[in-house]
Amino acid sequence: MLKRIGAALTAAFFITTSAALAAEKPKDPDIIHIGALFAMTGKTSFYGTVMSQGMKQAIDEINAKGGVDGIKLEADIEDHKGGVAKAGVDGFTRLRNLYNVQAVMTSFSPPTLAIAPIADEQKIFLINGGGVSNNLVGASKYLFHNRSLASDLGHAAVSHAHDLGLKKMAELAWNSDAGDNIVKVVDEYWKKNGGTVVASEKMDVGAANIDTQVAKIRAGNPDFVGLWLFSPDPGVAAKRIRDFGLKVPLIGVEYTADVQKLGGAALEGYEFTSDYFQPSADEPWSAAFAKGYKERYHSDPDFYAANYYEGVYVIAEAMKRARAEGGDWYHGDKIAAALRANPTFKSVYGGSMVFQANGVAKKRVALFKVQNGNKVFEKYIEAK
Amino acid sequence: MDLFAQLFVNGLVNGSHYALLGVGFGLIFATTRILHFAYGPIFTAAAYAAWFAANVLGLPIAAAMLFAAAIAAVLGVITYQYLYLPFERGQGSSHVTLIASLGLFIVLENLIAIIFGTGGRVIDGYQYSIFLIGPIYFSSVQLGQVIAMVVLTALLGVYLARTRHGKAILATTDNPEMARIIGIDTVKVSRLVFAIGSALSAIPATLILLKDGASPSMGFFAVFIAFVAVIVGGVGSLRGAVAGGLALGMVESLGLWKIPTEWQSSIAFIVLFLVVLLRPQGLFGRAVN
Repeated sequence: MLKRIGAALTAAFFITTSAALAAEKPKDPDIIHIGALFAMTGKTSFYGTVMSQGMKQAIDEINAKGGVDGIKLEADIEDHKGGVAKAGVDGFTRLRNLYNVQAVMTSFSPPTLAIAPIADEQKIFLINGGGVSNNLVGASKYLFHNRSLASDLGHAAVSHAHDLGLKKMAELAWNSDAGDNIVKVVDEYWKKNGGTVVASEKMDVGAANIDTQVAKIRAGNPDFVGLWLFSPDPGVAAKRIRDFGLKVPLIGVEYTADVQKLGGAALEGYEFTSDYFQPSADEPWSAAFAKGYKERYHSDPDFYAANYYEGVYVIAEAMKRARAEGGDWYHGDKIAAALRANPTFKSVYGGSMVFQANGVAKKRVALFKVQNGNKVFEKYIEAK
Repeated sequence: MDLFAQLFVNGLVNGSHYALLGVGFGLIFATTRILHFAYGPIFTAAAYAAWFAANVLGLPIAAAMLFAAAIAAVLGVITYQYLYLPFERGQGSSHVTLIASLGLFIVLENLIAIIFGTGGRVIDGYQYSIFLIGPIYFSSVQLGQVIAMVVLTALLGVYLARTRHGKAILATTDNPEMARIIGIDTVKVSRLVFAIGSALSAIPATLILLKDGASPSMGFFAVFIAFVAVIVGGVGSLRGAVAGGLALGMVESLGLWKIPTEWQSSIAFIVLFLVVLLRPQGLFGRAVN
């Protein structure tokens, strides 16, 4: 009898305590500061411009609907000067000291890798929608990616070249972590599948002169040229390759408005793999985003704008879920835990995306071809 | 061998571009002793001015180039008059003007990005010709780069040697104190070299606009390579700046014949280190005891 009474009392104690804990009022900040580390200046400031535009649009939309359970969001953007690691760390420190940010949108591999250990130590939620280096995977347990990584894009690109029956590959890659990652994955795949690499050249990001690289590529007499470069360099490279009389197919991993502007007619027929953002009437959110972006910025959004727009919604939703748990929820580790507890989020690309255990959101990679100065969707290639 | 011939032509073209940049930068540096790093964004501003003249005003390319040269000359003179000259008059050290120049570099680069946006700019509808001679390809713009270097350097040489103003520049370059003693207004001379040096930058800037397009950050490489060309060739020597630029272009191109291209950006530094180590006065500079 006494045992039963004891058990009942214990059960009653746990039930009341749990109820009390669950009911604990969330400790809310006055305002939710969302930090960002973008390339606002330097050779690649194009990225910072479009990423910040996507981010700001999402924040304004969420605030117009009442914010995160009534708490307004604010964008605090710091400049990593086109991927400079030290500038990234400085910016991250300012975001922490000035605004006590708990969630930071990061971009470019070097600054993201530089802040990753600090984010780990301070338990800050990070989301990357731009950096593509494979070294980013696992760099911090609080780092998530809604961007396909460079190797995924490169792998998809060469698997397409293989399907076309091409044998001799020449490649021009960025002299950077992202370029190195693609070359490693692509060369391994290509050689394993019976192809040969006739020229493997590197160029600095935004290099003013690539004539030597192109001359060496031409000397290799390739069946196609892989452009493992990011905006705006595929445009410059395509133009120079055509100037040198090479008429072989060009296959790459990026295409933006800036690439088209600089490459012009030389990009005709250029095929590339990419995260795919295409507004569609079937996907009301994607159409609304594209319409809103065009109204605000007088240009169509590319996938970088889409990724950072979507990233803000991921943060807001993860915060909402963390807040629902109550208590002292406004911490990066709580936000990350909320994401991991339910890794499915609505995607502006359509449908939903699922963050895998390694932090990378699984997305399909799309293959496009440039025709008459516009990208034309060809097919999806499943991520490997 | 085909590759070597192509790399040789590439080296000549790029070397000509570097040489012309070196001549403009070197003229200012040798005469005023000011390390005018803001030469970079003035080069960029010239490219954007050419773009504006051709795309917005609808001027022909040659007129756009002249418009860009005028804008660059005005910017150069303003920079000297309102930034460097006050420091000179206040007996500011060369370090102060160097810092001021770097500060101006950042301000101008960002200003251009704010005004024109961060994306690249090209002249709509412009298409250059491609020539094929045996296994060697080159474009009309590249040909223009070589011709511009030869013609402008020759004209500048004649101007410096034959005209009163040119001789005043040479005298100031040689010994500014003595030039002042014999009655040369060195401030006027400085204004003049800022105008000429900056205007010269507009020609390679316009040619790069035609070749690759313009971007707000294009000035960094331009001023860096101009500086290296001047140091390699020898400060104060027109021939030196030309030789320095051509040598850099050739070494950069032919050096990568067998070396992996990831070393490209290091080559200019290697050449600079070697020259500073083995011949500090540069190829055509005078040794000073």
